[in-house]
Amino acid sequence: MTEWNDEELMAELTAAVEEETAVSDRRRAAARAAFTWRTVDAELAELLHDSALDAGAAVRSGPGDAGGPRMLSFRRSAVTLEVEVDGDEVLGEVVEDGGSETGPATVTLQRPGADDRTVETNASGFFRFSDVGPGSVRFVVSRAGWSLTTPWATI
Amino acid sequence: MDTTDPLATLVPAARGGDSSAWDAIVDRFLPLVGAIIRRHRLSEADGDDVSQTVWLRLVEHLDALREPDALPGWIRTTTRNECLRVIAARGRVRPVDPQEGAGLDAVAPDASDTDLLAAERRQALREALLELPAARRELLLLLMADPPVPYEVISERLGIPIGSIGPTRARALDQLRRTSALRGLRDAGPDPVGGAR
Repeated sequence: MTEWNDEELMAELTAAVEEETAVSDRRRAAARAAFTWRTVDAELAELLHDSALDAGAAVRSGPGDAGGPRMLSFRRSAVTLEVEVDGDEVLGEVVEDGGSETGPATVTLQRPGADDRTVETNASGFFRFSDVGPGSVRFVVSRAGWSLTTPWATI
Repeated sequence: MDTTDPLATLVPAARGGDSSAWDAIVDRFLPLVGAIIRRHRLSEADGDDVSQTVWLRLVEHLDALREPDALPGWIRTTTRNECLRVIAARGRVRPVDPQEGAGLDAVAPDASDTDLLAAERRQALREALLELPAARRELLLLLMADPPVPYEVISERLGIPIGSIGPTRARALDQLRRTSALRGLRDAGPDPVGGAR
């Protein structure tokens, strides 16, 4: 870096500052827009488990473990939502403790800046979303009588 | 509402739906979130996603945040956790096998190493700028402005005679080269500037 003359150093410095400004402008716009997601009455589920938070998950990508899908589970009162993120595919299961036949649940995948995507679970409570790219996401599950909203997560 | 309002005012106002209070909170803590993301060396796209998730989670957390002064700590913890989750998730989805690194795919890691070095260099330059005294940093930023700021305006704003702007710039750049941020970058390994040794 000492080899740079003043003009070269100024040019590099300008590029560095411009990069930072562009990043923060973009993130500021997204952060401000996040406020439109404010809902006072959402029944927020609790994150029970995220395999990405397991101790050593970041360094344990050895043979046999590498490439395993990420598993997240959420819970609110008697309902558990299990989500498996495998590449751009999201598979899930809705489990209701002591649940009797109450018909399929509706699962909505929400992302900022994109339309909601809604599917129904099958008779066993399973559901699937394809083509889910990286980014912030949350799920809303509802069935007659209750609904559940997960915290936001980055997938 | 602006960033100078106390959190004890901003947080309840945002909770009540005041978007200007929310914007003020964002402006105040965006640099903190950005700094934590940079320390974790995420890609720019992953950094954008983490940032987005942190702010969305804060929106949903506003009601539970009874003690406004706890906000900086909450933001710090949440951002760090989100970074670690993304690092772990990406590590699993795209595992790197060092034994395959020498094969046909060896070109790709090299390219990203170059990107990483350039990103590190730009980050070091920004940190170096923060090490300078405020007046010198301000001078450099004004000289970088696009469109250019006339010397008369710089002179008036900073109280530097027009004839001293050039020499002061040279001294500021020399001081920049001696900052610990740029010295640390040189000590870190192969010269990122490349080939000039």
